[in-house]
Amino acid sequence: MTSDLGFWTLQALNALQLSMLLFLLSIGLTVIFGLMHFVNLAHGSLYAVGAYAGAAAAAVGGFWMGLFVAPVAVAGMGVLLYSGLIKRMRRSGPMAQVLVTFGLIFVLLDLTRIFWGDLPLAIEKPGFLSGRVALLGIEYPAYRLFVIALGLAIFTGLAWVLGQTQVGAMIRAGVDNDAMAACLGINVERLFFTVFCVGCALAGLAGVVAAPLLSVTPDMGLQILIPTLIVIVIGGLGSLKGAIAGSLIYGFVQTFGAVLAPQLASVLIYALLAAVLVIRPMGLFPAKG
Amino acid sequence: MFRHTPLRYIALALLAAGALFQAATAGYFGLEILIEILILAMLVLALDMVAGFGGMVSLCHGALMGVGAYAFATFGGILGLTPLVSLVGAIALTGATAWVIGAVCARSHGIYFIMATLAFGQMAYSYVFQTPFFGGDDGMGGIERLDLTALGIDLTDSRSFALFCLGVLGLVYLATVAVLRSGLGRSLTGVMHSEQRMRALGLTVWRVKADVFGLSGMIAGLAGALSAMHIMYISPGLLDWTVSGEALVVVILGGLGTLVGPMIGAVALVVLKHELSAITPYWHLVVGLLLIGVVMSRANGIFGWIEAQIGARLDKRLNDITRPQPTEEPRDA
Amino acid sequence: MKRIVMAAAGLATSFALPALAEDIKVGLMLPYSGTYASLGNDIEAGFRLGLDTYGADTGVTFDILTEDTEAKPPVALGKAKKLILQDRVDVLSGIVSSGVLGAMRDLIHGSEVPLIVANAGNDEATGEACSPWITRLSFSNGQVNRPMGTWLHEQGVGKVYTLAPDYAAGRQMIDAFTASFTDAGGEIVGQQFTPFGKTQDFGPYLAKAQASGADAVYVFYAGGEAISFVKQYDSFGLKADLPLYGAGFLTSPLYVNAEGPAAEGVIAALHYVPTIENDANAAFTTAFMAETGRLPSEYSVQGYDAARALVEAVKSGATDRASLGAALRKVSFDGPRGKLSIDPVTNNLIQPIYVYETVAGDDGLTQKVLATLPASADPANGCELAPVSN
Repeated sequence: MTSDLGFWTLQALNALQLSMLLFLLSIGLTVIFGLMHFVNLAHGSLYAVGAYAGAAAAAVGGFWMGLFVAPVAVAGMGVLLYSGLIKRMRRSGPMAQVLVTFGLIFVLLDLTRIFWGDLPLAIEKPGFLSGRVALLGIEYPAYRLFVIALGLAIFTGLAWVLGQTQVGAMIRAGVDNDAMAACLGINVERLFFTVFCVGCALAGLAGVVAAPLLSVTPDMGLQILIPTLIVIVIGGLGSLKGAIAGSLIYGFVQTFGAVLAPQLASVLIYALLAAVLVIRPMGLFPAKG
Repeated sequence: MFRHTPLRYIALALLAAGALFQAATAGYFGLEILIEILILAMLVLALDMVAGFGGMVSLCHGALMGVGAYAFATFGGILGLTPLVSLVGAIALTGATAWVIGAVCARSHGIYFIMATLAFGQMAYSYVFQTPFFGGDDGMGGIERLDLTALGIDLTDSRSFALFCLGVLGLVYLATVAVLRSGLGRSLTGVMHSEQRMRALGLTVWRVKADVFGLSGMIAGLAGALSAMHIMYISPGLLDWTVSGEALVVVILGGLGTLVGPMIGAVALVVLKHELSAITPYWHLVVGLLLIGVVMSRANGIFGWIEAQIGARLDKRLNDITRPQPTEEPRDA
Repeated sequence: MKRIVMAAAGLATSFALPALAEDIKVGLMLPYSGTYASLGNDIEAGFRLGLDTYGADTGVTFDILTEDTEAKPPVALGKAKKLILQDRVDVLSGIVSSGVLGAMRDLIHGSEVPLIVANAGNDEATGEACSPWITRLSFSNGQVNRPMGTWLHEQGVGKVYTLAPDYAAGRQMIDAFTASFTDAGGEIVGQQFTPFGKTQDFGPYLAKAQASGADAVYVFYAGGEAISFVKQYDSFGLKADLPLYGAGFLTSPLYVNAEGPAAEGVIAALHYVPTIENDANAAFTTAFMAETGRLPSEYSVQGYDAARALVEAVKSGATDRASLGAALRKVSFDGPRGKLSIDPVTNNLIQPIYVYETVAGDDGLTQKVLATLPASADPANGCELAPVSN
């Protein structure tokens, strides 16, 4: 293996980029779970819908239009899902929720096929992000740096909201004990609704951000679902810390696994997940003790 | 604990009669569908045993079935063992695999259990997929069916094979009921309701869970071996998590914790799939909507709904006639 | 919107009327759902166009029964049994996935129904697992890549790094290239197989390729993975120093628009591109454009030629399974891909391979044919079909 420092810097940035993409996706899923104890298997499908909505908007008004439209559209979809399905599923057990959202995967997959066809779509990167930037002695694609920066910005923003603001305090109270939070006069129902929609918006954002790197295909939601679930289960459901830790672990294991032990790369992460669950059945940083 | 109600006997009799009728009269494709239903019914019995009576909602039963299929094919095709030995070996290997998974996951609950089993299932899938020894993505062929010519049965004939599967399913059903009625099965249901209480009673909780999961895995392995014999070709798609998801769908669609219900669910899903895919390439959409509808209706699946509607009344009337003491059935659906 | 209309049209045609006794019943087995749905639709469009174009003057009605294989072997086997035993089709065609073809091989061979393969490229199907009943009108994995190894070395490329998804087709494509490239005197400085369908980020592999000291990179990727790969290759700025070559599925017309400018300059080998210059191709592309509103892909031409082969067999007097099976093995014609014939030893198609570069054209990306590599037969790999009787 090469001893070139630039090579390892490059790989570390690759790992960071993958981590941030997964973070955008997993944070919504994990906070929704922490607050509402609701597992949304269709979260990956929302990411796909985000990518498609972004691609459709970008075809008209360019990348930035897509970047704006995708989260809004998916949040709008979140409103529909919440009032139509989620609200009524709140008191059902995890299995009922898993199944409803499993059904939703099929529905959303076929709906994207009906609306946008089977052929892959694409979003072009905006001009100034399509080049490469020289840093740390290497040249790295500007768009990937943008993804890393966006991920870090969202992480910082959420950490601030959750840690420093009143809404954050309400959410933390809700995660700890929603019945008690309701007794303290917090409108838990509205809180749930808001958090669900923000989670959906973040999934949509992840979709449109991933689109210029990957391709927009109907099954992209299914492909990303398992990695996202692994991230939040390793990290521990319900916590911001868990989501970022899980994302970083996944990103670095996957990237350096591919470099150092390519034969094991695809089994490695599952083995890690199994190991985490054996040693800490609730993940590394669960929301509740 | 599992109990037979008159309604369940009626449903079982109807299912058996329907399957026999289909096996006797159906054309080639009808037999294919029947066999598909019978094998899926075995898998969902295995799943209902752990999910409906032990609260262990597994997302790796599809993968376990795949392990059974691959073990059967490997023992027969590569090691050259006879189909009968391969079958026993496949069942044992799958059971052992499931026991280990059950033991490891025993401490996880709810969504964590689902995710943990999913992880093990995907691990098996990835391993098989990228191992050239197992044929990788292209799968393996050259699988033989069991040779029962000594008994005068030729399993290469579709009709005989369908009847054979029906017989096996009957035995699997009886075995499942026996397990659930045994001390082990009763302990399992106790664990589902309160792990602490059972622990206080001196029970090794993880052992109970692992043992039942292992038994369930043996059934899944048997279903896998039969599926390999049926198709005579296997591919890694068998182990994909969506297969496990589909099995779970069938259990819920039919009625969790009723054993009879999931078998009805298997009939419903397979027939629906074939009818719909002939009409539209977007049949997943319809299945998805149906699934959402059933779960949202809060009924315990098709059979659970029937039980709730007419079962209670029917049971009461029959009990009045046959037994003076009405039995109370402790169930939580 | 056009896609919806097309889907609706496909839906309507799947309600086929019962066939008359003298008609030819065709079972078309393609994936209409799942990852490969776009391939299935493209092949069917080509197949129907082929039957309409060549079948009209035969006096025979072709009755098409379509079945969705979902690209899953167990599903496909069930559907195949239905078509063969219940619908009693005279001939089968389609098959996108190699796994499905492998699974169906024994059934086809045993039930003696001719199958015209319209995509699946696994080498075994016309090698060690060949059958007189399986005739391939698409390509074999080795066939597409073998000539490229020699050609690339002739262009002065000495050291190559290869990448492909980790599954049978990926390995066969790369192995065929590697064999001919090293025979010609080239050196493979590194090889990597990436987890199939699970790789989101090719960054780690690209950095390894860059550090390997290769002159060029040769890859096989298809579908969604091809798009991700080509875009990421470009975004790292590798194209200038480390030119990208590959099996032509990489920049297939079906996907090249989603790849955009990133695909410019990629040089690849394939059995068909829409810009091949001959009369048959001009007629085909015009007709296909009129029908669907877009240019045909290699998948469309495979469907088109599969239908053409069936018509040629019927024209030579074949009427049932046995005579169709025998006649299909003797088919040869000039089509959009040039001169095609069936290898009597393996039943694989013998066809020229085109090396093309993706370049910017007047409206979007187009394919510039750089070289036509002569047709050659695949090694038989133990396949010994009985000679075709006349």
